[in-house]
Amino acid sequence: MPLVMVVDDDQDLAEMLSIVLTSAGMEVDLVNRGDQVMDIFNQHPPDLVLLDVMLPGIDGVQVCKIIRENSMVPIVMLTAKGDTQDVVLGLEAGADDYMVKPFKPQELVARINTRLRRVARIGSISIGDLVIDQMEHKVLSDNKEIPLTRLEFDLLVALAKEPGRVFTREALLSEVWGYQHAADTRLVNVHVQRLRSKIEVDADNPKYVLTVRGVGYKAGVGKN
Amino acid sequence: MLAIKQELEKTKVLASWVKIKQSLSLKVLFTNTFFAFVIVSIVGVIVHNQVSSTFINEKIAISKVETRNALNLAQGHFNIARFQDDAGLKKVVQEFITNSREDGSLSGRETVILPISKFGKNDIYQTVPTLLVLDSIPENFRKNVRASEEVLERRVTIRYSDGTQYPGFLIGGKLDIPRTGIYEIYYLFKLNSQYESIRYITWILIFTGLLIVILIGVSTQFVIRQVVSPVKEAAAVAEKFTNGDLTSRMAVSSQDELASLGNSFNEMAVSIQQQIYRLENLSRLQQRFVSDVSHELRTPLTTIRMAAEVIYQQKHEFDASVSRSSELLINQIDRFELLLSDLLEVSRFDAEAAALNVESFDISNLVRKTVDYLHPSKSQIFEVDIKNEPMMIEADPRRIERILRNLITNAFDHSEGKKVQIKVAESENEVAVSVRDFGLGFSEEESAHLFDRFWRADPSRARTSGGTGLGLSIALEDAKLHQGELLAWGQKNKGAHFVLTLPKRHGTSIQSLPINVIPKDDVSTVVN
Repeated sequence: MPLVMVVDDDQDLAEMLSIVLTSAGMEVDLVNRGDQVMDIFNQHPPDLVLLDVMLPGIDGVQVCKIIRENSMVPIVMLTAKGDTQDVVLGLEAGADDYMVKPFKPQELVARINTRLRRVARIGSISIGDLVIDQMEHKVLSDNKEIPLTRLEFDLLVALAKEPGRVFTREALLSEVWGYQHAADTRLVNVHVQRLRSKIEVDADNPKYVLTVRGVGYKAGVGKN
Repeated sequence: MLAIKQELEKTKVLASWVKIKQSLSLKVLFTNTFFAFVIVSIVGVIVHNQVSSTFINEKIAISKVETRNALNLAQGHFNIARFQDDAGLKKVVQEFITNSREDGSLSGRETVILPISKFGKNDIYQTVPTLLVLDSIPENFRKNVRASEEVLERRVTIRYSDGTQYPGFLIGGKLDIPRTGIYEIYYLFKLNSQYESIRYITWILIFTGLLIVILIGVSTQFVIRQVVSPVKEAAAVAEKFTNGDLTSRMAVSSQDELASLGNSFNEMAVSIQQQIYRLENLSRLQQRFVSDVSHELRTPLTTIRMAAEVIYQQKHEFDASVSRSSELLINQIDRFELLLSDLLEVSRFDAEAAALNVESFDISNLVRKTVDYLHPSKSQIFEVDIKNEPMMIEADPRRIERILRNLITNAFDHSEGKKVQIKVAESENEVAVSVRDFGLGFSEEESAHLFDRFWRADPSRARTSGGTGLGLSIALEDAKLHQGELLAWGQKNKGAHFVLTLPKRHGTSIQSLPINVIPKDDVSTVVN
């Protein structure tokens, strides 16, 4: 059973979340304060973190950064302000996805399942000097492993397995995040930036993940 | 504006006149110099006249005295002269004239003695010295002299046979030469040295006058600069202030009237700044409030929603009334959510906190997607007229989609099952999307409230149609945020026509309307 860490200061909401997630077949760790996250995180490393933005102690964005320094675990943020800076700040701090309150429980479960899903793919793909080992879930550059979050890995695989195809942001949202309807394209933009900062030699002049102006992104060949 | 521009181009003179009229410093400089010129001219002319008449009159007065003495002397000279014959007389006369000329050489005097024909026995004694032309002595003056016992005078032009002529004056009298008869004697005085002096003085006057005018001009310019440059500075500061720099103030260094202008301006600026800060603060509080309400309401709503969903999932395990209650609960939570998000959006518009996330996208595609998304199963009632090629615009796709959803849902809800026409058209700089239905429509009276918050055309329908009552109001705000337009046409029971027009490029405004809001077949109420 996957372990989900729910970080929320609202006791009732946290309890409700745990009811919904438990009935969806997950184990739940409840944390009330931002500053307690890392202790529990180290005791029971979760498979996914559900993180509220507004928290006593340390706020959600900070917590997100701290988790990212130690772990590549998927993080889904819960925010009450869908269109404010919070979303971008959370994504830039390393969150993979976000849910705007109020959300439907089915939607939440679907989001979490998408992030937990580990599609068994075999073989490895390479673009330029990058080798993507799908079995081991590793990306190697010159035999050195580049640490990627699962979402970043999925994003890279999605692009790399069909080299030359131009993916619109909507297509990537559907493929990688599992959104059926148009959602926030900032999700894609922010994660492409994060991915580039890890795999590209020069993130301002990318070779692996190329922007197709006005359309979306495609995998490059590793050369300019 | 255009008319003014054309006027300006009419003549350059007009243009520079307008320039003078527009610039305070040029205006002051122009009037000051003009009046200085007028005053200096008047004073100059008066001084000139005064000086020249004094010069001439003095000369004439002196000359008169001199002439009287000379006449007396001449008379005495001839009274005692002894001559035997005409030759002797001629010699005496010639001697007299020579002497007289020598006497008068200093004052430029010419002496002429002429015989009066009716008294004279012959013409031998007529003596015209030097090159003087006798016409210089007018005939009528001679007549007057002959008739009078007095010494007469007159201003004349003295001419010489070599062509030179001088301004001068003439004094004439009678001379009685014993045994010969009465002669006319004339003294001609040249005034050329006087006139030269006067000319010299005239030049000095003109030169001084011009110098004074120029000096006045320069000093005016200097004074203007002292007065106008603080005014200009004030204008620049005011402009900076208008452009949003609320901290800009005038520098006050002196204690004169301009300093008090500066002080008043600065006081005004402080007061405006305080007002604006106060309003900004209110707006910030409002935004904070919106954000707090958002968080505080949304978190419990999330819990309620999840709890309701959990109950709803198991409704078959409860009896009918609990089961139905859970359905109603879910429906009302949906409504509440919609209402909450619409309310928050409206208060964001009110706080002017609504932000645009502008992207370049194909609006035709967005319209197609929105129609498909909203009514995938009812596509037969939608007639969509969109060209195949993409129509790119710069706008916030989520806001545009919200407007489209609203218009399409509205049209569908009010269409009474009749068809709904959706059209996309473009002009050079604009894109328009129109949604036309042939259902309920609205009357002229109702049209005035169409975009009002929470207004519903038919109160009895209020609960059945799903909207929050804020949809059109938000759509209008969204359109305005893009500098676009949302126009509506409607007629009772003949349907409605909504046209959204947007500029293709973000930041530009609409010049033309690709789709007319009045359908081709009808003329009725138009509101916006």
